[in-house]
Amino acid sequence: MSIRAELKYKIMKDYGAPALMVLQDFKRRKPRPIPEAFGPPLESNKRLKEILSRHYFLSRYTPGVKKVAWVTSGAPVELLRAFDFYTIYPENHSALVGAKKQGADYCGIAEGSGFSQDLCSYARIDLGHMLSGKTPAGKLPKPDLLFCSNNICQTVLYWYKAIAHELNIPLIHFDAPFVTTEQTEADINYMAQQLQDMIPILERVSGRIFYLNIFEDILKRSMETSKTWGAILDAMKAQPAPMTIFDAFGHLAPIVSLRGLPVAQDYYHFLMDEIDTRVTQGIGAISDERYRLIWDNIAIWYKVRFLATFFAERKMNFVTATYTNAWAETTGYLDVKNPWTSMAKTYGQIILNNNLKHRLDLMKKMIKTYSVDGMVMHSTRSCKPYSVGQFDLRKTITADLDLPAVILDADIADERVWSEQQIHTRLEAFCETLEGSKHG
Amino acid sequence: MLRFSKHETTFNEITKNMNISIPDRSEYLKTLAQSGQKIMGVLPALYPRELLWAFDIHATEIWDPPGEILHANAHLQTTICPIVKKSLEFILKEPDIINAGYLFPHTCDSLQNLGTQVKDLIGVSLPVYTFYNPKGSFNKMTTKYYRDILQNYQLTLETIYGPLNPEKLLAACVLSHKIDSYLLAIQQARMTDHLAMNNLDYFKLMRAQEYLLPSDYLSLLEQVDILDQPSESPRARLMVSGILPPTSEILRFLDELGVGIVADDLLAGSRRIPKFPMDTPVSPLDYLTDRFFVLPPCSTRGGDLDERLHHLSKLMDASQAQGMLFDMIKFCEPELFDHRLLVKTLREKNIPVLTLETELDSHISGQDKTRIEAFTEILFEMASA
Amino acid sequence: MADLYFAGVDVGSLSTDVSIIDHSGKVLSEIVIPTGVNGSEAAEEAFGSALNLADLTREGITAITATGYGRASVAFATGKTTEISCHGVGAHQLFPRTGTVIDIGGQDSKVIQIDSHGRMLDFTMNDKCAAGTGRFLEVMANRLELDLDELSSPLNIKGESAPISSTCTVFAESEVISLLAKNTPREEIVHGLQRSIVNRIWSMVTSIGVEGEVTLTGGVAHNKGLVALLEEKLGLTLNIPENPQTVGALGGAHIARRAYQSNLESPTN
Ligand SMILES: Nc1ncnc2c1ncn2[C@@H]1O[C@H](COP(=O)(O)OP(=O)(O)OP(=O)(O)O)[C@@H](O)[C@H]1O
Ligand code: SF4
Ligand code: SF4
Ligand SMILES: [Mg+2]
Repeated sequence: MSIRAELKYKIMKDYGAPALMVLQDFKRRKPRPIPEAFGPPLESNKRLKEILSRHYFLSRYTPGVKKVAWVTSGAPVELLRAFDFYTIYPENHSALVGAKKQGADYCGIAEGSGFSQDLCSYARIDLGHMLSGKTPAGKLPKPDLLFCSNNICQTVLYWYKAIAHELNIPLIHFDAPFVTTEQTEADINYMAQQLQDMIPILERVSGRIFYLNIFEDILKRSMETSKTWGAILDAMKAQPAPMTIFDAFGHLAPIVSLRGLPVAQDYYHFLMDEIDTRVTQGIGAISDERYRLIWDNIAIWYKVRFLATFFAERKMNFVTATYTNAWAETTGYLDVKNPWTSMAKTYGQIILNNNLKHRLDLMKKMIKTYSVDGMVMHSTRSCKPYSVGQFDLRKTITADLDLPAVILDADIADERVWSEQQIHTRLEAFCETLEGSKHG
Repeated sequence: MLRFSKHETTFNEITKNMNISIPDRSEYLKTLAQSGQKIMGVLPALYPRELLWAFDIHATEIWDPPGEILHANAHLQTTICPIVKKSLEFILKEPDIINAGYLFPHTCDSLQNLGTQVKDLIGVSLPVYTFYNPKGSFNKMTTKYYRDILQNYQLTLETIYGPLNPEKLLAACVLSHKIDSYLLAIQQARMTDHLAMNNLDYFKLMRAQEYLLPSDYLSLLEQVDILDQPSESPRARLMVSGILPPTSEILRFLDELGVGIVADDLLAGSRRIPKFPMDTPVSPLDYLTDRFFVLPPCSTRGGDLDERLHHLSKLMDASQAQGMLFDMIKFCEPELFDHRLLVKTLREKNIPVLTLETELDSHISGQDKTRIEAFTEILFEMASA
Repeated sequence: MADLYFAGVDVGSLSTDVSIIDHSGKVLSEIVIPTGVNGSEAAEEAFGSALNLADLTREGITAITATGYGRASVAFATGKTTEISCHGVGAHQLFPRTGTVIDIGGQDSKVIQIDSHGRMLDFTMNDKCAAGTGRFLEVMANRLELDLDELSSPLNIKGESAPISSTCTVFAESEVISLLAKNTPREEIVHGLQRSIVNRIWSMVTSIGVEGEVTLTGGVAHNKGLVALLEEKLGLTLNIPENPQTVGALGGAHIARRAYQSNLESPTN
């Protein structure tokens, strides 16, 4: 590893990135006016932006300093952290592209090269990025390693295999058997063994040795961070809720992509403090919260602002979501004394790797504990594991809990899958039902 | 011996007057169910059928049951593949021919969710089972795990059907092994023009294993005539890749055009037959474990892409196929991801490729006819050049 | 052999086109009429007109290739070939350095790769959806209350274009409706629609790659605004035949001629 590169990375990390960020801030247009329907914005937003821009910005100084890994959102990244990989989360990056309404462009590149339009748009955007080098983040380093787990979907395995083949780099896959009733001992042993078998490969790729105590520290930090994130989500039980789930979609980024690093841990303490203060002072995310909603499935990244405003104007606030909850739900299983089996339990049982009975029970519980009045489900063209079954989940939940619900057909990041008129009509009808049900 | 012999009379009655004719699926299953046979409906694709046989359960596979999709639309989005939709439509009818339950092997995200959707949300009167197929590149540890899965599945069946008779399991493995050997020989004959069968009949024969009792299927295979001398080669030689064989109408159309499908890379075809002949089974669980790991590479198992490319090119060479037909099921992620690399690689070798997208309608569109015809024009032109 | 004549009859989803050539390949007549509901009648009628125009009788034609989606319904044809091969051969005849042909017709659009002899090497075709075809434009023209000529006026390609993000005809139509409701100028919507088709075609082109010169055939080649946008997107100048709708028929006529000549040469005949 070159000393110059390392020095440059250090300098950029400590001085360059912050300086650049000030510059960018300066250049940035005036922030958009906040519609009246919203409460005061979170202070933490600024800090979040800094952390994320800095993370993407620094990545371009990694060559020769750190090995770069592309990682899926559900993969046990703690193990990679023990080898000091610089991690990039393609799903996060694709969401960023989607939020900038550039999804169709990137998808088009992948489609032009032969990938079907019917594939997950996170994958198509990422493949479009890989094939063209395009990114809204300026520049991203090429990966040295790919790390994926099918605990969120099989899709990531097919997708990462395609990258591994194209770039001719190693792929580590963590096979997480789907939980149809409960994890068996065989499942847990199989996963635990896989994790341990990864160590020699990771040592080879990273050129670093595995130290158990370092790994344990990372695990501890990860657990603690997830707990804080869980506590933040818990605080949304307050009425009015201190933030909207649309805020949380943004504040989710560090727990997904910087989990196990001090920066994430610190960030959530900061956010937690602000949330606590808001709760004590009774400050809500929207100025007049009359209805509380639950969101199911991943965000519609290119329409977050539209949806947030639409609902806030109708005094409706999203206070919980299965999506944001996913990074807090199973971390309770982590146990530093039994790192391997506890990771098998944590990562094997996350919501998308668990049966629909589990999902139904979880949603019902969330609806009760967060005092939810209505449910919005995003049926996303991209994601089979999140979407297959939603029709029946909706049916059961509305019947059992007498809860108004609506399903929106859209996509996570491909803005071509959006029918403004259809969605508008459905949303209006939903709001009418909701208003009728609460006051009728 | 398996205790399936009592049904052979039915089967013989159906086939008596025909040279080698294959009983109609629903008629056959109806008769079987009426005779008291336990029948499990199995969804695509890989599962240890031998274990079921050992419990005297007949496994009948559900891929693309005919009929319009109506009720399933209330449970599934429009962007889900037709196999999942058609299977659900079938299950929702709770047909009498399935009486022992449904088995959902873990094949893809859509089937994974459909399994729990049927079991935990929709609810059917019969039990619903699942079977996990490990994913990714395999090693010793995967082997051990797969064996554990088999054992767990055996335990599940034992809680319902009583203790397994080890001799029956061995017999089932021996039967399965025989079927495999025949199928390998028939495939080989197909590749080298030693089989006088058109596309339609060939794939009817392949698909009969989805619903015939293993003993009946074996006797069918025994009747297949493998020629001593190669017959005349078709006007153009094609290999097909995908999940299911092309629909009957497409097969018929290819027959009319004089195009022969000489090799396949289909999940419902050669991808579930071992790559090479295996030794006669001695210890059943070892045999079943070994068998899983010598199956050809498949998109749904997420194995190594180079291995898959290598396998396909071997098949193309052995069958002298001039072109490749990708018959892709709409919205099938596992196939569509690999598809791009396969097409790219074949194109680089100047091998003509045609991709069709199917929603499994029995009717073939004018557009697809044009595609197929234009493609054969390329193949014929090549053959004459 | 001065008395040998050949014809190609292309029964497309919207237009039926006939081309008659002589043994040297010289074009004697070309006809384009709407296909209407009955393909075989349209073929009869167009063929009759083409014969009249060339001053020939039916018996004077040595061989006839039927092509287009209604190729099977042309009773008087002596052979049939898909319009994909025919457009390849036709484009090769008109522009011999053509390596890639883009045919945008009424219900299908195709990208065809040909070698230096006009032989087809590879092709791709739009999927079931009508987006990216002439039909798509017609549906939208209807919505916008414009006729086809207005829809294809040459555009300032740098001009504003309304965002039409949907690739599906039905969705796109609903986008057009909401754009109209927002009083978006019609030129901008037209521009947006053309861009959407161009993107669709572009992804088909990239999926099989560009070789040699690119020739645009099919009725949509009449649409000047779209041609300009497509040229910009592909970054090259397209060959536009004088009569883009008859290129398939022309190719068919040449295929008939070739087949006849190679039969003559072949000793077994
Ligand atoms: N003068 C014109 N200006 C603009 N567009 C035109 C004009 N004439 C025809 N078109 C377009 O061309 C399309 C018809 O093209 P063409 O005649 O090549 O189709 P076709 O061969 O019948 O269809 P296909 O090949 O799909 O079966 C119409 O949909 C229309 O959009
Ligand atoms: S959106 Fe769904 S399919 Fe796509 S990567 Fe995420 S979990 Fe997998
Ligand atoms: S066709 Fe593809 S997506 Fe559908 S069930 Fe089969 S493997 Fe799954
Ligand atoms: Mg045409």
